[in-house]
Amino acid sequence: MRWRRMAGVYRQYWRINILTTLEYRENFVVWFAFTFVYHGSSIAALWIVLSRFPSMNGWSFRDMAFLYALWMVAHALHNTLFSTVGEVPDHIRNGEFDRLLVRPLDTLFQAIATPGQVFPDELVLAIVTFVAATIYAGVHVDAMFLTFIPLIFIGGALIDLGINLIISTAAFWFVKVDALRWIFVQLEQEFTRYPVTIYTRGVRFVLTFVFPFAFMNYFPARYFLHKGMSGLGLPPVAGLLTPAIGIVFVALAYVFWRFGLNRYQGVGH
Amino acid sequence: MAIIEAADLRKVFRRIVRRPGIGGAVRALFSREYEDKIAVDGVNFTLAEGELVGYLGPNGAGKSTTIKILTGILVPTSGSVRVAGIVPYQRRQENAENIGVVFGQRSQLYWDLPLRESFELLRAIYDVPRNRYLENLAHFSAILDLERFLDTPVRQLSLGERMRGDFAAAMLHDPKIVYLDEPTIGLDVVAKEAIREFITRVNRERGTTVILTTHDLADVERLTPRVILIDEGRVIFDGALQRLRTEYGTHRTLVVTFAEAPTNIDVPGTEIESREGLVVRLRFDRRKLSAEAIIRRVMERYPISDVSIIEPDIDTIVRRIYVEGYQHGAVGAPS
Ligand SMILES: Nc1ncnc2c1ncn2[C@@H]1O[C@H](COP(=O)(O)OP(=O)(O)O)[C@@H](O)[C@H]1O
Ligand SMILES: [Mg+2]
Repeated sequence: MRWRRMAGVYRQYWRINILTTLEYRENFVVWFAFTFVYHGSSIAALWIVLSRFPSMNGWSFRDMAFLYALWMVAHALHNTLFSTVGEVPDHIRNGEFDRLLVRPLDTLFQAIATPGQVFPDELVLAIVTFVAATIYAGVHVDAMFLTFIPLIFIGGALIDLGINLIISTAAFWFVKVDALRWIFVQLEQEFTRYPVTIYTRGVRFVLTFVFPFAFMNYFPARYFLHKGMSGLGLPPVAGLLTPAIGIVFVALAYVFWRFGLNRYQGVGH
Repeated sequence: MAIIEAADLRKVFRRIVRRPGIGGAVRALFSREYEDKIAVDGVNFTLAEGELVGYLGPNGAGKSTTIKILTGILVPTSGSVRVAGIVPYQRRQENAENIGVVFGQRSQLYWDLPLRESFELLRAIYDVPRNRYLENLAHFSAILDLERFLDTPVRQLSLGERMRGDFAAAMLHDPKIVYLDEPTIGLDVVAKEAIREFITRVNRERGTTVILTTHDLADVERLTPRVILIDEGRVIFDGALQRLRTEYGTHRTLVVTFAEAPTNIDVPGTEIESREGLVVRLRFDRRKLSAEAIIRRVMERYPISDVSIIEPDIDTIVRRIYVEGYQHGAVGAPS
């Protein structure tokens, strides 16, 4: 019953997104061009850095292209499905958030399904890049790959959602969380670009067990590229755990969200 | 049958004490001081199903906070609340099915979309059967004259049009209870009239229970036979508007602009409220003297260039209840 209703709302939500995007067509064209230029230049910059090294801890440039493309799709998937969660702090500040509390649906679901100008352009670009990188890196594409890769993307997007949700939840305590968000965006970009083995043990531990960015791309890439040596004593097959890690991480973030929500509503005070 | 029961409701907000200037901001980084703000302080009332009630009080009185508790947005610090048999903050989503909410300053419509699209989304959120939805839409369009702008993006609507859209949006799912928090704020006379008409009809024809908060006495004069007056978080009057008027709204103010500065002002039956240059405000009791009689008395004594009469506003009435109310013995006695 609830689920059927949520499915109906979700469908309407996407209908509205697409209508809104088309309503602002000029803006849309500019935005689409920007997506291409932005990601194109990130890839070029990475290429310039990497082409100076023949390899980094045993990872060739081709391997790193695959590593990057894995992250890119997961991240783009998050931006397409869940970026509205990042608007929650603004809604808390201007009072719009109250609206979610007087409607008969889960608040997080409503935060996700807040219509805006979302369009899957970034995702399309990321998938194209991923296909190219897979061929370029010579990854063996078999049934196993085709089954797990979509799940790994979803898991990676959930890891991103978890981070996004934790930061947005902080807004129940602090008025502004922009700085916190900026820090996480920077860290994520930095630490998903290279194999985590180049970092110190402490950093690797955090990227695996605290904010599990390493499961967005490093562990899956290690598995599919058959890199034997390990990050933190985890066997290569850990690369297939991404979907489970994503679910657990989001579940924990959701518990934190509920805690923050209680505070917002003034429980026990 | 009581549909809303609030007993001893209290809400205390804890807020950080802010000190002025950079020095204060830096100090706050290291040691935070908190102060408690009692927004709602022991509010009691019950509403019968189908009632239309004005929840009245000056700015900061605690109206919105009460509404937020009733809607389940806030958890009260203490006290008990039941809405249609449900404790709103414990079963928020279930409670949400029963209620519609209009926040005067905050629209629930989507800025970039035609009004109709917002309605479609709400239909999905409340899972309103399509037939019922179309029926309601047609009905509200007729009363609120929405037809003209159903397909216009909300950002291009005037405030009055948008507000009418918001009212329809809050009612599409046939809520048992509607909460209207300062719905007429900033509206022009025509839009106010359309909305008052809508509220009356919804209440009468559908039996919807309505709570309307406002600090504008004119809103309740047209609409609500019963008013609950609150100030500083406490109910100071609960009863018929008529009684509020006759008991407390007895004084009027006559604003006189003198043609030349009078040496001493003495008009029998009035007292001087304030005096600024040539403009003098005189207070009188309309039960004892008519406005006409007062004006005549003034004109007999002084050359004047202008007069006008001010009706008492909420603030004046609240002040009077504080000063004189307890003597009347008619204060804060919910029936
Ligand atoms: N979230 C909050 N934190 C701290 N103080 C608040 C909060 N919300 C309201 N208040 C204070 O509580 C009092 C009552 O506010 P409110 O219920 O909004 O009044 P009204 O709607 O009658 O104008 C005001 O003094 C207001 O500043
Ligand atoms: Mg208010």
